[in-house]
Order: sequence, then C-alpha cells, then structure tokens
Amino acid sequence: MTLTTLLRRISLKHIRHQKMRTAMALFGVALGVAAMTSIDIVNSSVIRSLEDSINRITGRAVLQITGAESGFPEEMLEKVQKVPGVEYAVPVIETNASLATGSERSFVVLGVDVLQDSNMRDYSVTGDSSDIPDPLLFLAKPDSILLTREMAQREGISIDQKIEVQTVQGLKTFTVRGLLEPDGPAKALGGDIALMDIYAAQLAFGKNARIDRIDVSVLRGETLDSVKTRIQAALPSGYNIDTPAGRSRQIENLMGRFRKSMDVISFMALFVGMYLIYNTVSISVVQRKKEIGILRAIGATRGQIIGLFLAETVALSLIASFLGVALGWVLAKLSINAVAQTVSSMYGRSSVTGLDLSLASVLRNIATGIVASLAAAAFPAYSSTHVAPVSAIRSLAYTSNGTVLRRLQKILALSFILLAGIIIAVYKTVGVASPLRNSSMTTLAMFSLTLGVSLAAPLFLKWFIRAYRAVLAPRLGAGGRLAGLNLEKNLTRNAVAVAAVFFSISLSVSSSSMMNSARRGVMDYIDSVDNSDILITSGHPLASAGAPTIPMPLSMRQELESIPGVRSVDPFRKLFINIDGRRVLLEMIDVVTWPRNNTCTIIEGAMQDIPLIRGKDEVTVNENVAMRMGLKKGSTLVLPTPSGPRPFRVAAVIVSYASDSGVIFMDMPTYEKYWNDHVSDMFSIYVEKGRDIAAVRTAIQKRYQGTRKMFVLAALEFRQEIKKMLDRSVVMNDAVNVLTLLIAGFGIIVTLLASVLERTREIGILRSIGMQRRQVSGVVLIESALIGAAGGLLGICAGVITGWINLEGFFRIDFGPSMAYHIHYPSIATALLFAVGLSILAGLYPARRAAKTNITEALAYE
Amino acid sequence: MSGREVFEKVHDVSMKSLDHEIEMTMVLFDRGGGKRTRSLTSYSKKADPEAYKALAVFNSPPDLKNVGFLVHAHTFSDRDLWAYFPEFKRVRRIANTSQDDSFFGSDLSYDDFTGPPNLDDFKFDILKEETVDNKPCYVVEVTPKTHRKYTKYIAWVAKDLWIQLKIEYYQDKEMYRTGSFQDVRNIDGIPTPFHSEMTNKKTNHRTELTIDSIKYHTRFGDELFTQRSLERAGK
Repeated sequence: MTLTTLLRRISLKHIRHQKMRTAMALFGVALGVAAMTSIDIVNSSVIRSLEDSINRITGRAVLQITGAESGFPEEMLEKVQKVPGVEYAVPVIETNASLATGSERSFVVLGVDVLQDSNMRDYSVTGDSSDIPDPLLFLAKPDSILLTREMAQREGISIDQKIEVQTVQGLKTFTVRGLLEPDGPAKALGGDIALMDIYAAQLAFGKNARIDRIDVSVLRGETLDSVKTRIQAALPSGYNIDTPAGRSRQIENLMGRFRKSMDVISFMALFVGMYLIYNTVSISVVQRKKEIGILRAIGATRGQIIGLFLAETVALSLIASFLGVALGWVLAKLSINAVAQTVSSMYGRSSVTGLDLSLASVLRNIATGIVASLAAAAFPAYSSTHVAPVSAIRSLAYTSNGTVLRRLQKILALSFILLAGIIIAVYKTVGVASPLRNSSMTTLAMFSLTLGVSLAAPLFLKWFIRAYRAVLAPRLGAGGRLAGLNLEKNLTRNAVAVAAVFFSISLSVSSSSMMNSARRGVMDYIDSVDNSDILITSGHPLASAGAPTIPMPLSMRQELESIPGVRSVDPFRKLFINIDGRRVLLEMIDVVTWPRNNTCTIIEGAMQDIPLIRGKDEVTVNENVAMRMGLKKGSTLVLPTPSGPRPFRVAAVIVSYASDSGVIFMDMPTYEKYWNDHVSDMFSIYVEKGRDIAAVRTAIQKRYQGTRKMFVLAALEFRQEIKKMLDRSVVMNDAVNVLTLLIAGFGIIVTLLASVLERTREIGILRSIGMQRRQVSGVVLIESALIGAAGGLLGICAGVITGWINLEGFFRIDFGPSMAYHIHYPSIATALLFAVGLSILAGLYPARRAAKTNITEALAYE
Repeated sequence: MSGREVFEKVHDVSMKSLDHEIEMTMVLFDRGGGKRTRSLTSYSKKADPEAYKALAVFNSPPDLKNVGFLVHAHTFSDRDLWAYFPEFKRVRRIANTSQDDSFFGSDLSYDDFTGPPNLDDFKFDILKEETVDNKPCYVVEVTPKTHRKYTKYIAWVAKDLWIQLKIEYYQDKEMYRTGSFQDVRNIDGIPTPFHSEMTNKKTNHRTELTIDSIKYHTRFGDELFTQRSLERAGK
C-alpha cells in the first residue's frame, strides 16, 4: 500500500464526506497565512515607500548628519566641509507645512542651498527638471516656493500664484515661482513636497541661522567609516552621523512596536488555524477508528497510518497556504492606505504607491502554514496508532486512554507550563539591559502556557466532571448524570472542544486585562499630568515627536495669557535626542508653573524638588531612562546639546508614559538657553474659575483666526481622543477574539455532532426504553454547557496570567514597572457567560439532531 | 590652418576684451511669448597669466536691483563663483559643477557669461568653410575632453575678425541650443557683437542680449572684485 494509494482511496473519500469541517480547517490555516502575508506586504510596502522617499530626498548623499530635532547652528556645516575626505557637504532644512486653503493638505518643505545642491540631488532650478520661468527671481525673493507639478495639479495651483501656508510663524504667503517635474526629490512622498531656497526657508520657518541636516558625499577612494570618524571628531558629541539606509532603519525601529503588535495578531490567527487542524485531525481519528483498525489489521504499519494523516494535512495546508497568500494580498490592498496614514501621522511621512511582496516572503509564509499544520496534526496523528485494531473493528467506544499516550500528554502539558514559568522567571531575573528582556520572551511564555494548558485540558475536564458529578449532577436528574458520564466517556474528544473554548476565553480575558491596565495607567497619568481646560496644538494631538507638526512660537504664551478668561498657560515642547545611539524623548515644561496645576507620581525625590530645578542644570527622568541608564536621584546625566555635551543632575525619578523610549524632563528656560529653540508644540490653558470654557475657547480661536491654523481642543476632547486611540489599537485584538470564539463554537458543534453520531445506537436504546426527545436533547445541551463552563473557567485562569505576562512584555518593559495590573472583571463575567451561552447555542443543532433520532434506524445503526 | 589654431586666435581676441565695463539689456522670451527685460552692468579685469575677475550687477527690474555675481578665475578651468541677493543680505557660493547650467533663467550658461575657456580641455576639428552675414567663416567642431552638458558644439568663426558669429550646441546628435552674434562693431580695435541671441531648442526659450554701452581697457582695481564690493553692487 503506497501513501498515494491510501490518500487517493481513503483520504479523498473522507474529505468529500466532511466538506464543512475540511473547509473550516482550510479557512483557519488560510486565515493565519493571510494575516502573516498581509502584515508582511503592508510592512514592507510602507518601509519601501519610506526608503524610496528618503533616497529621493537624500540624493547622492552617503552620510547624513542630524542633531536635535530643533536644528543645529549652521556653523557646523563649515566644520564638516573642511573634514578631509568630504566631497560635498550641503545644508538641508526639512520641515512640515500645510496649505491654509483648499484641501489643507500637509506637505514637506525641503529647504536646500539651490546654488550648491545640484552636487547632491538630481534637479536643477534652471534645468529641464523644472518649469521655473524666472529662476533669478526665485532666488532673490524670500517668498519663493516651488511645488511639484503633481501637487499643483491636485490643488489647482499655477505658477506665479500666491498661496497661504501654515508655518511656525503663523500663516505666511508664498509665491509659486515654478513647478518641479516628477523626478528626484520631487517624486518622493507622492509629490507632497515643496522646495525652497534654504535661506528663505530659515526665514519662513523661524530657523534663524540653524539647519536640520547636513548631507555629505565622500571623495572617491575614501571609506565611509573613516570619513564618518573624522566628522565625528570634528563635531561636538550628540550629533548623529548615519547613512540614509540607517535613517530608514531608524524609522523601521520606530515602527517596531507597530510591527510587533501586528505580528502577535498574525501568530494568534495562525494559532487558531493550528487549533482547527488539531481539531480536524483529532475528530478524524475518532471517526475513522474503524477504518484505522481495518488498515492496521490488513497490515498497514503505524508509520503508514501517521504518514496518511500527515500527508492529508500537508495537502490541505498547501492549498490553504496558497489561498492564504492570495487572501493576504487582498487584505493588504484593503488596509494599506489606512496603515500608511497611521504611519504618516505617528512616525514619519510616507506615501505608498504599490504593494511589495517578495517571493521569499510567500515561500516563508507557505512553509510556516505547512509546518504549523503538521505540528498541530502530529499529536492526534500519533494517537491514531494507539487504536487497537480489534477494538476499532468491533466499534467499541473510542477512548484514547492508552497509558503511554496519556502519560506523554501529561508530560508535554507539564513541560510547556514549566517552560512558561522558567521563561518568566528568567525574564524577571535578568537586568533591563539584557537581550533576553524583550516582548518575544513574554510572547513565547504566553504561547507555551497556552499550549501547556491546552494539553492539560483532558485532565482538567476529568476533575471538572468529577466535581460536577459530586455537586451538580444529582440535582439535574438522570439527564444530568448521563451528560457527565458521556463527557467522561469521550474525554479526549471533549477536551478538544474544552481547549477551543479555553483558548478563545483566555485570549479575550488576557487582552482585556492587559489593555485595561494600559488604558487605566495612561488615563490616570494623563489626568495627573494634565489638568488644563483647553489644549492648543498645531499638529495631530497625539502625534509622536518627528511626526508632521508645525510648532508654535513660545511668544504665543503671553498672547494667550492676555485673552480674557485665561488664568495661566503652560508651554510644552517635545523632541527626540540621541544619547549613545538611543533615542530618548526630551520634554520641556515650565517647572515653576506646571506643578501649580498638575502632579505626577514620584519614584525617587519629591514633588517640591521639581520647581527647584529652575535656573540649574538639572532634569528629571522617568523610570525607563533611570533603569536603562542606571540613574538615581543625584546622578549625573550628560546630554548632547547643540553646542556640545553638558552634564545635568537628576533631580527626581518620575512616572511618565509619554514615550516608550524613555523620557527626560527639562525646564523650558534651560532648554531655550542650550538649544536656542523658542517654540512650543502644545499650550495647556487653565481657565479662570467661573468662566465658561467654551467661551474662552472661542475667544482663542477668534484671536488666531486667519493668522494661524491650530487645534484648540477642550481637554475633555483630548482625553476622549486618547481613549479612542487606545480603543482603536485593540480593534484587531477584538476581531481575533470574536473569530476565536466563533471557531470555539464551531469546535463544540463538531465535537457534539461527532459524539451524537457515535452514540446513535445508544440514543436509540435510551429512546426505546422510554426517554423522551426533550430529555435526549437536554442531555446534549447539558454536555455542551459543561464543555463551555470547563473551557471558560480554564480560559479565565490562564487569561488572567497571560494578561499579566503581556503587560510585562508590551508595556512595563517600555514604560516602567509602576504600571499596575488591573484585571478586567467585566470581561471575565462576560467571557464566562459568553462561553456557556455560546456552548449551549452550539449544542442546539446536535441536540435537535439527537432528539430526532429514529429509534428503529438507530437500533440498526452499526 | 588647424581647428586649434583658429581657436587660439579667438582666444587672443577674448583676452583683449577682458578689461571692460559693459552696460547691457537682457530680454528673455518664453515659449508663450512672454517677455522679461532686465538691465545689468558687467565689469571685468584681466589678471596674469591667465586669470581674470568679473562682476555683474543687475540694475533693473526693481525686484532684482543689486543682485550680483562675482567670478574669480584662477585659471581658465578653475574658478570660484559667488552670488549676492540683497533681500537675504548674504553672499553665496555657486557650485562649480553648474558651469553649463543656465545663467539664472536666461539661455546663456555660466560659461557663456564668464571668461574664455581653457583650450586644452577641448578637441578642435575644422569641418568646412561657410559664409555667415557675408563674412567668410571656418566651421569648427569643438568636442570637450571631459563630461559636459553638451557632447560637442559647432562654431562659425569669422576669418578676419576671429570671433564666433554662430554656434550650435549638441547633445549627441540632437541640437539643443543655438546662438548668433550680430551687429559686430570695432571698439578700440576689438571686434564686438552688439547684439547676440541664444535659443534653447528644447524649451523654445530665447534670450537676446544687447550692448548699450561698452568701455575697454578699463584697468579696474582689485577692490571692485571683492565680496564686499559684490554686497554693495560694485559701488
């Protein structure tokens, strides 16, 4: 008997008879592969678009020098130009602006020295790559701007037209002196780019004698590393010298969290697929026990039987994986714009023009689909060989109670649970800087625990039934006792359904508790650090530093304070700085006025220490920075300022959830002194007591109407925005939860249906001795409710633990251990109700079918 | 006579004309028939052995008044260029690689606007002899030895005057820019075309340059050709 003969004669027939279950298993694996594929496509398309934009804007530069995001003195340019080995070093200003009219679209303004820049980028203000009627006028007038032809056409703007643009200094009028053809930088960012001469850009965007970047090309024969080292030596510390590829890597790293959460979802989806395969093969083994017995009796070896089940799995998973790749492409196409928009607003501007799918990614995902399916099928396939041929042929009830198998399952279950414990113990023991301290470790622990508990499901079910029979069964009469006996009789198969319910409930409780902790942590934090009534920001209220925002001049603080009804105003500036290759968020507040209205949780030091840092070179740091850099109150932290490294004393360690890469707080005047930057990203407004907040808000809007575009939000709206954002971030999780619950329901239907079919003769006998249809269906419904309750209880216990594990790996690792774990009790109650309810619902069809059993036919059933 | 010998004579005439002060009018015609007129003054000074300095300042229109350019040629193929824009109050360097780029929207290149080229950077071949404006000319094909925006140009050099009367620039086989030099007058023994025209065949853009007044042998001092002088529009 060859494997192909077995597949053709036996498997095909079986698949034809079990169309629905086969289709579900196919769908499960396809979904997992689709999730992985779409995430791959979306991720690589967004990264490729960012890289393409960076390369186009970078031109021939092989090194890029950046400092603080506020810019650095242009004198640094001369220092770099003098470094041996540097061919050209050109200054760049890259900033965000938005059109004040029309689509109000935001775009990047690239300020370059157009008289020098042809050394670096492929365009010329006097050549064929542009349509500039009078290049001399473009250079001579500070209001000159060039738009891409694409943007001009989209906005209906023509040459010589005046346009209103939002800048740091408010609304400014520019004259469009010409249009850039779609080439070089003009093709980047989907054409949402404008070009200005660097000196005009400095004037327009308040970058007095400062530049954002120096692009460097290197002389032939010089190595990149040697020139980089020389530039490093020529500049004060704190400057980041990187290749353009390194810059796109930085954005990729920034997007790491985004990718990580997407990866977890794709793993979850694949895990669901694996469960379906496990379920399908398990049920298949149960249903085909007679067939297996016959095959074994006529000489098929154990290896051939295992091979048959695994070959079926390979064939099914191959088809499913191909379908998954196709489905992944469709999902990516549907979601790419939304993802690109999120990435643009939160991380860095991108414009995705096409989907990017590599052959390597396709092959990897197909292979993962097949390997995951084989792994899922391995255990039930192995268990099939423990069916004794004689008992199988005689149609004895199937109970996989072979000692070897039971022991193996127990060992595996215990091993996986132990492994999860060891991983967590190691994770908690190693230092924060250890490479083992990452979310992959906690994810591994979570999966290990889930797998272990799944394998322990039969054992748990056994205890559960024992407890049920002792406490509840006697009160439910014969039906109740019969249901308990039935569950116990088919322990292995029923445990599969219990595991399905466990898995979905565990997932739901885990993510609800983790997100509840994060949400409460963040909201409590926001409530303590921002008690203002109105917030003013010129960019997206939740944008991270580096995202498209247009800061406002600090002088606006006095203007705002003069508006009737305004009691006081706090400025707020945020930017990333580079400390020893690590990006850390630097946040500036007025340390004297801010604590009058707000508070924060202090880990080391006291609240009254904060105003005392005024006039001193002192900062406060959050737990993340303190842990990673080994800082305590009184330690010295050297910060890279535009004029060189400068030591700052740590005045306090506080709790801050403002960034996952660590936060340093500085007094605004200290920042202004060392960074020579006088802008604010946000203003918090405190309204006088008794004043109408809405009226003050309207007065602020009126004050800046026509001169500045900005968001004037009631603080309540801001908090709602944050809540919405947090809710949005769990939408995908919720979708997976719903999906797993549906699959769990399907698992229960299949299990009970198989059980009903197997017990056809038994049900016939019960009916013939007087059991009513109602009683028969009652037994099946009690069985299903018990499966739901067992799975639900197990899921709640495991979910509470995995929720804590996930909080460690996804939040505490970045925001600090002070983030408390809050179990989400409503979701536990809902989950238990849902589990039992869904199980009863899933039991309705098999119950109906069991009740309808024809007594004569049932008694003749073999 | 070889092509190189023809251009050595052209070079001699150019060298004689290097000490000058010229008032000129530049008119730019775009493909839609639009016209932009600007007037400028150009000062130049010869320096030994082959260096020169030049300063050009725009007088009109008002938007461009006092915008200026300064050239310091150390040799005929090595020079520094600066520009000054009064509204920014900054002297700025212009990249050396822009020698073939348009001189700020006109159809002249920076190279056209500055002094004579280094003959060693080119290969010269006489193609034939022709008459232009009733003047017998050598038709010389000039091929740059280094990478330039054009692959070659063909010049019609008047036999008796040793100045170019017509010029055609090619990118491979495609002609993209043409020039003609007319109204040739003898000023202090130097043949000077008072009207020249340059046309870009690709963009249909045309520039006319008319000399309003000219003085040779001016012998300006070095102080006129400094960045400080550039900032003060040569005053």
